Amino acid sequence: MTIPATWEPLSDADSVLTIAQDLFSTMIDGEPGHLYPWMGERPTLEDPRFTWVDVAGSVATRVMLMAGRATGEQLTRSLLAMEESEPVSDADFADAVGEIANVVGGNVKSLVTNPGALTLPVVTHEEPDMSKDFCLLETYFGWRGAPLGVALWALTP
Amino acid sequence: MKALVIDDSRVMRKIVSNVLVGVGFECIEAENGQVALDQLEAHSDVVLCCIDWNMPVMTGFEFVVAARKRPEWRNVTLMMVTTEGEQDQIVRALAAGAHEYVLKPFTPEVIIAKLQFLGLVDLKEMA
Repeated sequence: MTIPATWEPLSDADSVLTIAQDLFSTMIDGEPGHLYPWMGERPTLEDPRFTWVDVAGSVATRVMLMAGRATGEQLTRSLLAMEESEPVSDADFADAVGEIANVVGGNVKSLVTNPGALTLPVVTHEEPDMSKDFCLLETYFGWRGAPLGVALWALTP
Repeated sequence: MKALVIDDSRVMRKIVSNVLVGVGFECIEAENGQVALDQLEAHSDVVLCCIDWNMPVMTGFEFVVAARKRPEWRNVTLMMVTTEGEQDQIVRALAAGAHEYVLKPFTPEVIIAKLQFLGLVDLKEMA
């Protein structure tokens, strides 16, 4: 399978980095500079969670966020302006990381031509089976020292 | 002034509400378009709705269409706050009766600037 023409603009990780940095600087950190490209080997995520939204259309596409549970909890605290020591409920966790995936997905979608509708976010602790699908891009960022991944997949009908 | 924040994400409702409260609004919330219609029925003093697009049960676009059919809500300002950034989506929402369009992610300053443009906030008066 080759990269669908409509999604070619996103095969370059810089587009996704720009989207993610914009999101983090405006709504999570309140200032730029805390999200950066991950240097070195593909990181291992501790107790990973997978959060995605799908974009319907002639080529259905998945935008997936990958982060360790602890990193997701930190993101949740930042978004909800919670104290460092405050416990994060599963509902708040799913809501927060789901909204991050939604914003990244929506902005990714706006960069391609003729995309379809965006689905509601799904959050799981098990990696979804993507063995029949085609990975367009997988890239990792560092956020306050912890790794975060974003992957774009073309889904097999 | 009362605002209705409509988003299926509690996180996003809180973020938007915090911005609005900071410029003098009292906020109520709804997690989808249908609940928002019920809230508008119950609160006749709502002057502003901030509306996400993708929500379960009733989308933000469907809410705009339904709200615009009600003459008694003609003066309620409808502002989309969404990730749906394609030109045709924006045109559809504005044609259906939305007054303004804010793309996520946003800064508080963007929301406040839109409210100033709509005449709902006068920062000079607040100073």
